[in-house]
Amino acid sequence: MPKKKKKVNLDLANIAPRELRLGSIISWDGSASDLAELSNYELRSRKRRGCGKSCGPGERGCRLAELDMPFNQQTMCSQSIVACQIGNITDCILIEHSPIGCSSYHPHFDFAYKVGLVRRGKEPKSIQIVSTNLLESDMVFGASDKLRRSIMDAHQRFEPKAIFISMSCSTAIIGEDIGSIAAEMEKKLGLPVVPLFCEGFRSKHWSSGFDISQHGVVRQIVRKTRKKQKDLLNIVALWGTDYFTEMLAPLGLRVNYMIDMASFDELAQASEAAATATFCHTLGSYMATALEEEFGVPQIDAPQPYGISSTDEWLRAVAKAVGKEGEIDGFIENEHKRILPQIKKLKKQLKGVKGFVSTGSSFAHAMIEVLRELGVTVDGSLVFHHDPVYDAGYENQNTLKHLVDNYGDIPYFSVSRTQQYQFYGLLNRVNPDFIIIRHNGVAPLAAKLGIPSFAMGDEHFPLGYDGIVRMGEALVGILARKKFNNVLKRHVELPYTPWWLSQEDPFLIARQPEILENAPLSPCAIAQREYIREGASSR
Amino acid sequence: MSAVSKRVSNKAGNKNVQAHTQTNSIVHPRYGCMIGAAYSVAAITRGVPIVHCGPGCIDKQYFILCSDNGNQGVGYMGGGAIPSTNIGENDVVFGGAPKLERLIDASLKIMDGDIYVAFSGCSSALVGDDVESITRPYQNSGLPLVYVDAPGFKGNNLIGHELVVNAIIDQFVGPYKGRKKKGLVNLWTEVPYFNTNWRGDLIELKRILEGVGFTVNVLFGIESGGVSEWKSIPKASFNILLSPWVGMDIVRHLEEKYGQPWVHFPSIPIGEESTSAFLREVVEFAGNDKEKAEKFIANEAKQYYYFLEHFADFFSEYWFGLPSRFAVVSDSAYNIAFSIFLADQLGLIPVKHIITDNPPDIYRDKIQELYKHLSEGISSEVEFIEDGYLVEQSLKAADFGSGAPLILGTSWERNIARELGAIFLEVSTPAMEEIVINRSYIGYRGALSLIERIYTPTVNVF
Repeated sequence: MPKKKKKVNLDLANIAPRELRLGSIISWDGSASDLAELSNYELRSRKRRGCGKSCGPGERGCRLAELDMPFNQQTMCSQSIVACQIGNITDCILIEHSPIGCSSYHPHFDFAYKVGLVRRGKEPKSIQIVSTNLLESDMVFGASDKLRRSIMDAHQRFEPKAIFISMSCSTAIIGEDIGSIAAEMEKKLGLPVVPLFCEGFRSKHWSSGFDISQHGVVRQIVRKTRKKQKDLLNIVALWGTDYFTEMLAPLGLRVNYMIDMASFDELAQASEAAATATFCHTLGSYMATALEEEFGVPQIDAPQPYGISSTDEWLRAVAKAVGKEGEIDGFIENEHKRILPQIKKLKKQLKGVKGFVSTGSSFAHAMIEVLRELGVTVDGSLVFHHDPVYDAGYENQNTLKHLVDNYGDIPYFSVSRTQQYQFYGLLNRVNPDFIIIRHNGVAPLAAKLGIPSFAMGDEHFPLGYDGIVRMGEALVGILARKKFNNVLKRHVELPYTPWWLSQEDPFLIARQPEILENAPLSPCAIAQREYIREGASSR
Repeated sequence: MSAVSKRVSNKAGNKNVQAHTQTNSIVHPRYGCMIGAAYSVAAITRGVPIVHCGPGCIDKQYFILCSDNGNQGVGYMGGGAIPSTNIGENDVVFGGAPKLERLIDASLKIMDGDIYVAFSGCSSALVGDDVESITRPYQNSGLPLVYVDAPGFKGNNLIGHELVVNAIIDQFVGPYKGRKKKGLVNLWTEVPYFNTNWRGDLIELKRILEGVGFTVNVLFGIESGGVSEWKSIPKASFNILLSPWVGMDIVRHLEEKYGQPWVHFPSIPIGEESTSAFLREVVEFAGNDKEKAEKFIANEAKQYYYFLEHFADFFSEYWFGLPSRFAVVSDSAYNIAFSIFLADQLGLIPVKHIITDNPPDIYRDKIQELYKHLSEGISSEVEFIEDGYLVEQSLKAADFGSGAPLILGTSWERNIARELGAIFLEVSTPAMEEIVINRSYIGYRGALSLIERIYTPTVNVF
């Protein structure tokens, strides 16, 4: 039998991006059931554990066919993700080794950080992410001394417990050796200095930035200890409201949220927790797997805690993991009694309503489940990428399959980054009454089509039993906003050509590239051509 | 205890202020990078920027320039609509030119624009993609496509703004040998999206210049005629530059290219006196009909003082304390404009002026000189700081006396303003805690809005 291999290698500072590690894709269109089948989760998982056949060309399950879109609009990058993760640790400092433009997200991350601190009962304060602010001469002569200077500035000004360094496209291209400088400064300052190789071009999807952040934290911050805190549960999270504490109160558990708004010490104690869970495997799987392999902290063996039966299972699995099996059953029963009449009432209110979910992948799977619990029809969804398997590879983490098996298929299930031009066709195919959205860039288009958006800024909102009710009640308010959106629809134009807007298939130009080649130029571009052709002579 | 004295008791002490000098490090950025000038194109009616850079580059610019800056959002173009190559590892290794070509082809068919501007960023510049030779065939076939090399390491979005405007003039507007049109002027002033109130400010500026008899090419925003207006740039009889330094390269270029003279006002006028003085000077420069201009000015003045007189009741009789010392932390254009208005028109005492937009060295002495004459007998010093840590240190060290100061700044000053017990207004990039729609703080009407915004917090104390 082949030797069981580790999925996470903490010996190396660098990690492979998701597309290489997990076979993740960013462009696909079909039904959810087809994608679940093609993903071959189980086979991939076995291979990743080193007990399947070798992975070679033509090997089934090795490569998920992906559409190559000849046109793309703006997206996010891994370096931004690192900033919104590592930059939100309360007593560490992130240094962005880059020109200043790479730091232009900061005001937004600052705001989210303050909101997050308040949600977790901490004092709101500003982020302090340092940019090395590189200029043209640095691209020619190298920028290592500026990095050293910024590390010293951060150390003297903010007295952090650890310093992280993030790589950018430009510093990666010019070959800045942040690994060596991190090692050198770690020795000099006597605190962890963590290099993060998150240059945007390295991965086609920003979510690789989550893994890179988590890798750095587990590798250099988490305490190497055998000590255990039996009542501590790690939750890999973002900025969500602390609903986990109330969900876990019946088991007497404390929650250790990571990475946003955590302190150095809170991150360091992750190795001592009784188990690790997350609100979304797209986010949490890498860290949970690393903690499990390295420190023996088990993962919760259950579906994600959304919808009634999954929440039941999740709570029972947590109880089991902390040695309190059976102690939660009474609580679950009471919760059902409390929540079911409320859901029934909401179902009546939401009867006939159609929704569309557009978020990161496993979170989208979960929210579709919650919407279907409420009787909302979901015929279409856009996930910003798809991981055919997660790092842990546990059967219970196959969230897409869980959705399809338990809540039915989604006929129009698409994978694409935040591509606004496709969103028009995606929405027209299913004609929803509202969308649920995370990430910027596409909701404004829905808004102009008369479709209100529920911007899911609090990721924990749909969690557990109460999450179903919270979602239902919020939706009633969101649906009312259709009035505003219809006003917009009556009066504003979209920036796309009549030719593009007349296409029914949002993925047409990948499936039939020749159609794009033969498509007419924008009518206005042609009109301008007349002006240019007239030339200077006639003016 | 009154709310105002409560603020005083919260005032942070000046001890423990460590002296730190400016290095390369920056926290709390206050401008975008060169590729952020894509938003100057997005501000042209039906202008389409196409960016050739990493994934994330232009998204980030959306945040600092639009979303986190008055929550401006974008209109027809911008945000998620901007075509981007999202350079990946293959493009870095093998070159990104084919990807850009493919993107331009598709953009011309999918995006409904009147002008398209291709920007190349850091990665494409470092791997040596030749964007000019990619775009030339399109230009040769008469398509309205312009290109700009705009790697972020070469400068900020303000430098980028000048570059893209000049590129459009050279590559799209083109040569012109015809006659000038009397009364037609080009207005170069605030940078679209970057200057938080640019939309409202351009409306006010166009309104008042039209009022005194000009036809105005505002070139950006809702009051602009889009590309047809850009095409009429060479026909203008002169250029008005209303900014301390941004745009200097544009008016110089136009002078060289079209022989157009320019008139420079480093400070955007706020309030009746400076706005009327500005208009009179432009009218004088143009040789316009003064009588018509004076009639407009007189009417504006009448309205302005009608409202100011009402406000004066509050100003002279409010029992519970008003700010008397002020600091402005912002880009150069807003900084000098607000500083003059507060010192000269409201009679507030200038304490700190921190300019954060990194003006090129050649302009700094001239900018400093402006602060020597904020008002009759009022001289002040300006500091040029880009690093938020040092901005905070500077504000902590300032002597605001014992009352609550007024601080006009950015989102980044919110914390220190609270520590200092200040009346605080976000006026410059980034302004995350403001919803700006058509707001203006300049000219005749904007000045009155600014007064409302400054003094509302003094009564809104519970």
